[in-house]
This record gives sequence, structure tokens and C-alpha cells, in this order.
Amino acid sequence: MELATQLVTYGILIGCVFAFVSLGLSLIFGVMNIVNFAHGEFLMVGMYVAFLMSSYLPLDPLVSLPFAAALGFILGITSYRFLITHILRGPMVAQLFGTFGLMLFLRYLVMFVFGPDVRTLSHGILVGKTFSLGWVSLDASKVMAAGLCLLFFVFVYWMINRTKLGRALRATSLDAEAARYMGIDTENMNALAWGIGGATVGVAGGLLAHFYYVTPTVGMLFVLIAFATVALGGFGSISGAFLAGIIIGLIQVLGGHYLSELKFTFIYIAYFLTVVLRPRGLFGW
Amino acid sequence: MLLRVESLVKEFGGLVANADISLEVEQGEIVGLIGPNGAGKTTLFNCIVGYYKPTSGNVSFVGEDITGWPAHRVAKMGIARTFQNLRIMPLLTVEENIMVGAFCRTGDRQIARRDAHEILELVNLTGEAHASPTELPIASQKRIELARALATKPRLLMLDELAAGLNPLETKEIIQTLHRIKEERNLTLFLTEHVMEFIMIISERVIVMAAGRKIAEGTPEKVAKEERVIEAYLGERYAEGR
Amino acid sequence: MGQLLRDIFSFGDRPLSERIVLLVFMAVVLTFPWLAESAYARAVMIKFLLIALFGLGWNLIGGYGGQVDLGQAKNVGFGAYATALMMFHWRTSFWLTVPVGIFFATLESFAVAYPMFRLRGHYFAIATLCVALVWKELFIFWDWTGGARGVEIPIKPTPNFTYMQFGSVGYHYFIFGLFMAQFLFMNWFRKSKLGYQLQAVRDNEDAAASLGINVTGTKVIAYCITAALGAVGGSFMTAYYLYIDPDLVMPLDLSILIAMTVMVGGAGSIWGPMIGAAALIPLDMYLGAWLAGGGHYGIDFMIYGFIIMIIAAYEPKGIWGMIERLTKRG
Repeated sequence: MELATQLVTYGILIGCVFAFVSLGLSLIFGVMNIVNFAHGEFLMVGMYVAFLMSSYLPLDPLVSLPFAAALGFILGITSYRFLITHILRGPMVAQLFGTFGLMLFLRYLVMFVFGPDVRTLSHGILVGKTFSLGWVSLDASKVMAAGLCLLFFVFVYWMINRTKLGRALRATSLDAEAARYMGIDTENMNALAWGIGGATVGVAGGLLAHFYYVTPTVGMLFVLIAFATVALGGFGSISGAFLAGIIIGLIQVLGGHYLSELKFTFIYIAYFLTVVLRPRGLFGW
Repeated sequence: MLLRVESLVKEFGGLVANADISLEVEQGEIVGLIGPNGAGKTTLFNCIVGYYKPTSGNVSFVGEDITGWPAHRVAKMGIARTFQNLRIMPLLTVEENIMVGAFCRTGDRQIARRDAHEILELVNLTGEAHASPTELPIASQKRIELARALATKPRLLMLDELAAGLNPLETKEIIQTLHRIKEERNLTLFLTEHVMEFIMIISERVIVMAAGRKIAEGTPEKVAKEERVIEAYLGERYAEGR
Repeated sequence: MGQLLRDIFSFGDRPLSERIVLLVFMAVVLTFPWLAESAYARAVMIKFLLIALFGLGWNLIGGYGGQVDLGQAKNVGFGAYATALMMFHWRTSFWLTVPVGIFFATLESFAVAYPMFRLRGHYFAIATLCVALVWKELFIFWDWTGGARGVEIPIKPTPNFTYMQFGSVGYHYFIFGLFMAQFLFMNWFRKSKLGYQLQAVRDNEDAAASLGINVTGTKVIAYCITAALGAVGGSFMTAYYLYIDPDLVMPLDLSILIAMTVMVGGAGSIWGPMIGAAALIPLDMYLGAWLAGGGHYGIDFMIYGFIIMIIAAYEPKGIWGMIERLTKRG
């Protein structure tokens, strides 16, 4: 019983993080129907920001979060303006490969500059600390990560659904041409979607760095988790992404407990089964 | 009886696009299907050729029940179609496009190429055999699509808005081409169309649809005068103009 | 019979300039062991031919079929492991293991193909990726295949034609022979009924169906053929590297490399895989290895990534597309 509670709690915590990681992907896909293979790389960059700032400056890694967000935002917008606008004109295959190339470029750029070694955060208020809640023992960093991810998720959700800017974004995703007729600058909306996508996942990276190893190749894993989450939740549905994130988190923790070498395999299988059996996902259109 | 449609119904969610349509097409006829926008003509078309599965009702061709058959089986049975929005294969040459159609009936490239060239002559495109179709004018691309459908050696050729976007001279040419290929290949033609000048001239019999139902049937002159049809959208001009 | 031979060997439908370049290329490769001074250069050439070989197979589903498959490494793995395990456990000779690898690769591909081909575009690509990753993890997990430790092949005095073990010159002709066989197969394929139908499916599925083509069936067959071709290359890897593990024969990076090579070179063209491999392999083996010696890893893939972005943005038809475009004007 204690074990079950422990596992489920962890599953939910990590699920919150997964949900937030997939938010950017879902947003970009909703607004412009393009899948960003480099999504995981933006996360990886966020992780490195946290690592570098806390290693070379006497700062707590939490302080690096705004910087990770900013860098993610810039990366997103830059990618949009310099790459995506060009590949959108081409065939779908080119679109797929364009973001793929970006993924490789970013990943190996970081590897070239910082080396392939695995790093971890050495210090920080939350790093390595645990506390107990009832009979469950929790990593402080994971609780904080989950909490912040939840908070930011709700914030982005609020922004999309309750602000004028969010309405413009939603209009663009429903019908770009009609949105233009209404005076919405869809180019800016697209760039903004990429910026927000990059920023959210950069912050997620910064949080993940607290308890996950930092290495240039970590991006691929998270982009696949994000894909699985978005597919399960339904492409285009933000609330679906949240629920799906929790489910994927639970799958990973429970599956990982019983067969730890295959903990990610279950996620890949989850993606495959979802798209084959229920392509619309739980809530998508 | 070449083609028979019985009580066909096609629903999309709550929307009834085709409600209880029945019609027949005899071997050797030229039948036109007209109706205002949203009448359900293309839906009916697509139900017959296997692009959609009818919600209920039957489609039979040369006596065989083909209801709900997938498009490629329908094509092999002998119904060929063209597309309203031109589905040319852009990365293949004109000749290769037509050969794809010919491969429906043979596995041998030499035979496919020979068939393709016969048809290229039939539609007056021999000179463009090695051209890239995307560089040719629309009227030629329509002839390519026609040729490609013809290469599958159909008995029934279904044409979806073939005359759209053609000027009067091109329209006249395509009517001549259609008559020629019909004679040459012993075809039956079933066309759906918006361009009145085209369809009222070429059709021997016209079926009119509106709001998902069949509302009239008969020769072009008779149909043009029927009150319900005029109500739907036609003017008496077309009947008087002949 | 004569027609079949002509279809396999004739490049008569291609312009003379291309045929001349092909002859020059073949002449260079044939005489390479004598032209090249260092063993390293010979190893680069072997890697080039191996990746070009993989590219040829992938070009079938990815280029002519237009379905971006990011999981080809699993088929390579099936071939490699079939050969390795049969050699290791039962001392089976190489050529008897190849059909076994082909069999498993084709069987597995057939099983996953139908559900996967209900997907399009990105979803399909990611699904292929997931399937390949699942297999790699299973191979790591499974003891009988050696798990993460891999499988070691008994080493024999060279040349050995049972296990196909040679010196570097022998391997060169071995891989060149396999390459030529698949190259001629692709030459036949692109002119065959299936080749035409597959390209029709790539260009316009609805139109293809209206012409009597079973779209899904065609894709599945193409996918299975590509799997079989990939497995053959995998078997070669076992005979060449003499030791295989999941990270060598089934990694995601290999799937990506194979797909990229063809996309950069020109997918859907018979020359694409060779051009792509020629562009990328020397870059990797010379620049990448040189810098890696100094402790700087990753520059080769960084450049690849950059090249891919440029190609995707400006020349989606790859280097060959660019050549065609430029020579048309001239």
C-alpha cells in the first residue's frame, strides 16, 4: 500500500512536468500544424542554462529559470523566423526534416561546446533534499518542479483562453486565413507560439535539471515523451495534454518500477497504441 | 443496365448529403448531373466511385453489387474518374502519369507505354509526352487527367467538373475530345458539372439534384423547363437558346 | 528474359552525362584499393558504400514512396543479429543467415505496417521511430541476444568465405558487390509496375486509388522490401565489425543517418543515396574524427544538421534536385 501510494504520487508529480513539457508542442501544432522535432532540444538548452548558471555563478539554480525561459523564447522565435517560415513553403516532408535538422544542429552544437559528459546540478536549495508527507517520501525538487509546472500550465491555459492575445492565437489555429481577415497578424501569432513553446519547455528543462541528468542527448527522450503525451491527450487540446501527462507519468513510474530497463519502452508503446487505436486521443479533434 | 444506384443515402454526422437517390445509366449514354452548390452531386459521385462509403442504399455496376467497395476495386471493375481539382502526379512526366493508369491493366512496362502513347494521340498530347505536367496549361492538364483515367480501360468514365476554368474555345475542344474518345473506346460518360454551356450541349440525358435529392430527370430541354429545376437555379434561357 | 536483363542493367532512359558519371564512379570504386594509400581511406570507402547501400534500400519507401521512415535501424538490427546469433551459436555460414535476417525483418515489418500506415506524415514518422526504439530496448533487455553486451563472432583466418571475413580489400569488394546488387535492383524497381504505382501513391493517394492501385497494400509491400534490403546490410555489418551490440546496429542515430543521407542527396532519385553518402561520410570520418581526436565531439552532426536545415528550406529535393534544376537552365 505504501509502495503503491509512493509510486502513484511520483507518477503524478512527474506527470505534471510531462504535461508542461508537452504544452509547447501542442501549442505550436495547434497554431500551425507543424511538429517541432527540436522541442526536446529547447528543453535541453534550458537544462544547460540552469546547470551553467548555478555552476559558474553563486546562484541557486531556481534563479536561472527566468533566463531559461528567455533563452527558450528567443530560440523559438529565431527558429521560426529563420527556418520555419522557409520550410512552410515546401512539401510536408521538408517540414518534417527541417525541424529535424534544427534538432541535430542544436544538440551537437551543445555537445561541441560543452562536451558529451553527463552533468548534474551540484547545489541548490532543492537539489537532493527530501521530506516526508504521511508515509510518502518525496524529493523536494520533484515537488517544486511539479508545483511550478502546474502553476505555469494553468497560467498559459488562462492566457490562451482568457486574454485577447490568447484569443488571437486560438483564432489563428482554427482558421489562419479568417484570422487575417479579422486583422490578426498571423505571422506574429506563429512566432509567438514558437516563442511561448520554447519558453515553457526551457523552464521545464531548468526544473528537470534539479533531478535529472544534464546531457546534450537528453532532448530526444523528452520530445518522444511530449509526442506521446500530446497524442494521448489529443493534438490541439491543452487540457487533454494535462490529463495525458499525468497518465504518461504514471505509466513511466509504474512501468519503470517493475521493469526498469524498459521504463521508456512503455511510453513508446503507449504512443503507438494511441495513434493506431484512437488517433484522436482522449480529447482532440 | 451499366450503372444502377438504388435509394442511396449518405450522411456525415448529422448532415444528410444524399437522401434516397436512385438513378440508372445505360451503356453508351452520356448522362449529366447538375444542381446548385451544395446539392450533393460530388458526394453522390464519390459514393459511386468508392471514395465514400454510402450510409445505406446500393450501387451496382454491370450487375455486380459494388456498394461500399474501396476506390481501387471500383477502378479495376471498370469505372474511371477524373478529379475536380486536378490530381496530377507532379513528379512524373505526362507519359509516366498516363502509364500509371495503364498499369492498372498490365504489368509490362512496354505495353503500358504503348497504351499510354495511343491515348496521348487520342487526346492530342503526343508532343508533350516527356514534359512535366505542372508546366502545361490547365486545359492540357485536364486532358492528361482524362487520358490517365482512360488508360485504365474503363467502361464508365465519370468526370467531375471537367469544364471548370476552361474558356469557350477550350470547352468546345474538350467536347470534341470527349465525343472522339467515347466513339473510339466505346465508353459511357457520366458527368457532373456547373458550366451549363458544356453540360447541356453534351448530355443526352440530365439528372438534377438539389438539397441532397433528385428533383428532375430527362433531356436537357425538358429539364430546363421544369418549374422545380428553374426554382432551384436554372433559367429558361438555356432551353430557349438551343 | 532479355527485357528483364535490360531493365536491370540499362540506364538508357537517363541522359548520357549521367551514365558517364556512373561509369567513372564505378571505375574509381573498383580500383580504389590501389588508389588509396591508407587503411583509413579504405575504411572510409567501405563506410561510404555501406551507408549508400542502406540509403538505396530506404530510398524505396522514403524516396519513391514518400513515406518518411525513421526506424530503418531495426531492420538493420534484425539482419545483423540473425547473422551474429546463428554464427555464434550454430557456426552457420554467412549466406545461410542472410535469408533468416530478411525473413524476420520482413515479417515484423508486415505486422506493424498495416496499423502504421493508417497514419500520415509526422505521426507516421514518429510511429516508425517508436517501433525501432522499442525493438532496440528489447534487444538490450533480452539475454539470449546478449543484451547490452552484444554478440561476438568467432574470428577466422582471412580470407574466409564461410563467414565472409577478409582483409580490408576483401571487405571492400564484398560491400561493393552488395551495393551493386541493390543498385541494379533499384534500377529495375524504378521502371517496374510497382515502382510506378508507388510513386503515384506518393504523389497523390486519391488519384492512385482511382487508377486501381491498392494504396495501403502498395505502401506495405514497399515497406517490407525496404526492410529486407536493410537486413542485408545488417548482415554485412556483422561480418565486417565481428562484434555487434544494439548501439552499433540499431541505434536511433543510424536510422536518422540513413534517412538524412537520402534526403540530402535527393530522395526519389536513383542517384540520391550515393550523392548523400558522398556528402556526409567523408565529412564525418575526416572532419569529425579529426576534431574528436582533440576532444571536440559533434561537429560532424552539427554540420549535418545545418545542411539538412538548408536543404529543407531551400532545396527540398536535395542535392540532386539542385543539380537537375541548374542543368535544366543550362
